Amino acid sequence: MMDRRDFIKLTGLSLALVLTEGGFKIIKAVQEETINPVLWANITKDNHLVLLINKSEMGQGVWTGLAMLVADELDFPWERVRVRSAPAGPQYIDRKLGMQLTGGSTSVRNMYDFLRQLGATMREMLINYASEEWKVPREKLKAQGGYVFGNGKKASYGELWEGAVKLPIPHKVKLKDPSEFIYIGKNIPRIDAREKVDGSAIFGIDVRLKDVVYAVVERPPAFGCKLKGFDPSRAKQVEGVIDVFAISTGVAVCGKDFYSAQKGRESLKVEWTESPIKDFNDQELARYYLNALNRAGAVARHDGNPEDVISKAKVKVESVYLLPYLYHATMEPMSCVADVRKDKCVVYAPIQSQTWALKTVSRITGLDEKDIEIHTTYLGGGFGRKANVEFVREAVEISKKLGRPVKLIYTREDDVKSGWYRPMNATKFVGALDEKGRVIAIHHKIAVPAVFEWAGMPSQIDRAAVEGIENMPYSVPNLHVEFVKIDLPIPVWFWRSVGSSHNAFTLETFIDRLAKAGGRDPVELRLELLSKNPRARRVVEVCAEKSGWGRGSYRGRAMGLAYHFSFGSHVAQCAEVSLDKKTGKIRVHKVVCVIDLGPTVVHPDLVVSQMESAIVMGLSASLKERVSFSKGGPQSLNFDTYPLLTMEETPEVEVHIVKGQGPMGGVGEPGLPPIAPAVANALLWGYGIEVNQLPMTPDYIKTLI
Amino acid sequence: MTEIYINGKLYKVSLPEDTPLLWVIREHIGLTGTKFGCGKGICGACTVLLEEEPIRSCITPLKAVKGKRITTIEGIPANHPVKRAWVELNVPQCGYCQPGQIVEAYALLKKNPRASREEIVRTMSSHLCRCGTYPRILRAILRAQSMMGVKT
Repeated sequence: MMDRRDFIKLTGLSLALVLTEGGFKIIKAVQEETINPVLWANITKDNHLVLLINKSEMGQGVWTGLAMLVADELDFPWERVRVRSAPAGPQYIDRKLGMQLTGGSTSVRNMYDFLRQLGATMREMLINYASEEWKVPREKLKAQGGYVFGNGKKASYGELWEGAVKLPIPHKVKLKDPSEFIYIGKNIPRIDAREKVDGSAIFGIDVRLKDVVYAVVERPPAFGCKLKGFDPSRAKQVEGVIDVFAISTGVAVCGKDFYSAQKGRESLKVEWTESPIKDFNDQELARYYLNALNRAGAVARHDGNPEDVISKAKVKVESVYLLPYLYHATMEPMSCVADVRKDKCVVYAPIQSQTWALKTVSRITGLDEKDIEIHTTYLGGGFGRKANVEFVREAVEISKKLGRPVKLIYTREDDVKSGWYRPMNATKFVGALDEKGRVIAIHHKIAVPAVFEWAGMPSQIDRAAVEGIENMPYSVPNLHVEFVKIDLPIPVWFWRSVGSSHNAFTLETFIDRLAKAGGRDPVELRLELLSKNPRARRVVEVCAEKSGWGRGSYRGRAMGLAYHFSFGSHVAQCAEVSLDKKTGKIRVHKVVCVIDLGPTVVHPDLVVSQMESAIVMGLSASLKERVSFSKGGPQSLNFDTYPLLTMEETPEVEVHIVKGQGPMGGVGEPGLPPIAPAVANALLWGYGIEVNQLPMTPDYIKTLI
Repeated sequence: MTEIYINGKLYKVSLPEDTPLLWVIREHIGLTGTKFGCGKGICGACTVLLEEEPIRSCITPLKAVKGKRITTIEGIPANHPVKRAWVELNVPQCGYCQPGQIVEAYALLKKNPRASREEIVRTMSSHLCRCGTYPRILRAILRAQSMMGVKT
């Protein structure tokens, strides 16, 4: 833990701000030694707290969760709190991540101490100022509910703030005792709910600039194709089309509105080079990935002597899995507004990674970062996809070439074609049991593209490839974990819960197969394997208890349970499932979910909504989703061929939060990994079906019955 | 020049008549609450009312709504039980699909205030939400019914 002084030093840079009703106007950045709260917060004269939050609001409720921390320490009325997006800049870097990025389920964990300190510091500043102004000793003053009062005096924070910021910033600030919290731990209203209900919330696609040109980009039909040539003549004749030209990823068609640009694009003739993977369709991809399991990979973990133990074991279990490329399917397709001028560039975009955006824009424009303004709008879904800023680069390239402000809009088909999928992967597990059905060895190997390498962070063992396996909380004396890197020109990226999105499926279904082979109850086997991990045991136990595990067939439905640790949180889920053997259709009726994210839960209902969200998304992926390929390119280009789960198919979700001891865990992602294996495990126990591939479509399930 | 009424106001637009209503509303009228999701009428993010009927504005050409009354998310009163229930239950996550969902729910309850749980689920299943707010949308519609004093 760092002390308060370090914390204050770490905040580094400061901005000169003009305080306005609507928020902040930034003048310029200057280097400073100590924290300056006006960098992060303002209290307006009419007593509104306006916060600049450095994390992107993409649905996870982060603006609510983070604003609560400041408002609680400041003791400020919630309905008077406003949040604005912090601009991209070194002063807003999350010091624990080393960049301005929303990802890895880290926002509340990383900003918790900082933002409480900010609120407490501001409160102290207000008291100090009132004390000086009123000549009243500090001890006689109270700051509560947005007012400072004492000795017959009273003033709102807003009335005092302008004076308070001129005093020295206090360094030894006492934080509240948890018993004094007014918001932390309570279900207060989401700060973004109202504008998302009345239609006024501004997403990337909603930004309107004067004289903006609309752009679409024609993209290659398959991955790895390069632009060979194009004929813009017919497109340019389309009414409303302004210009047609090549950019790094395709051919941009610019028009006076979206529809003109789109119509121009339909008249465009483009030639592409042959894709290096032109022979890849679904069958060929499957063959390629499964073959890769025969190659030697990099060993991520090797305990004991798994090969030897397995070769001598009486009971062995072997499984080979093949999981598909997945598309993020954010409801808002990629979109970006960029205005590139000679000496300046302004960008409005729904992005998760301001630092990467800033660096990219600087590289494309040649401008210094200080001359680039990047404003983050609301994100119409992120799930990792909007941490990739290729779409920002495209908008900047187009604006630079045109010399005019541009709004780039991806169609749904563009969005799929752009790639950046959750990687496909093949996994082989071999396990061995002793005569009591105890797990004595597990040998694992995965063939998968390296997500972190695609994100510019290569390493011999890709962190995403083996996450959740290499660090599994199960105690297995002989364990081997191996990674074979797949190199294909199909771009892959972070997809909600990243490697855990596939590794939890393979590991957790394999555990149940081991249990079955050893004649063990899968919950009891898990508890045995988790004997050294009381927090993990507890979520499994609570999940079993709340779901009625072990009380026999429940309403004639099959039950399956899975557990996974990711992003600092333990989650167990139990699914109640039935299968129509004639149609192969699976119905998930109910999911009981138990999460332990540590002792502090800032906003329990946001945790519940993130569990609901992750379960629906994970179920959608495991029952319905797969990017299908033909001739090296994606074929499932819209929701007709890439269907998502609907309300009809959504189970009842029951969430329980248990508070274990230890560091705070994340919330946005950890709810996703257990759902797919929980459903598959129900099929194993209820119907004797081993699911080795996803999605569990009726056609696939019928082949297993 | 095509005349349309949006949220009770008359607009005259000079655009090709095959322009989808969605882009007329968003780019030319300037009401951005109605969203673009798929361009094929599948996801429901672009849902608006044509007279009383929910339609997919991304596949509805301007010429089909000539002289007609359109209601968008902005045209539904803020104090309507559907909107109030949505806020009360913290329904929106990313919020992008919510205008379409709310317009659909508003139309459903206007037509059939006593819609059963099954009818609600069937109707709302024509809308996609990647954040998985379905359980809360359902609860919010049931809550709106009770705010409206409807006994189902």
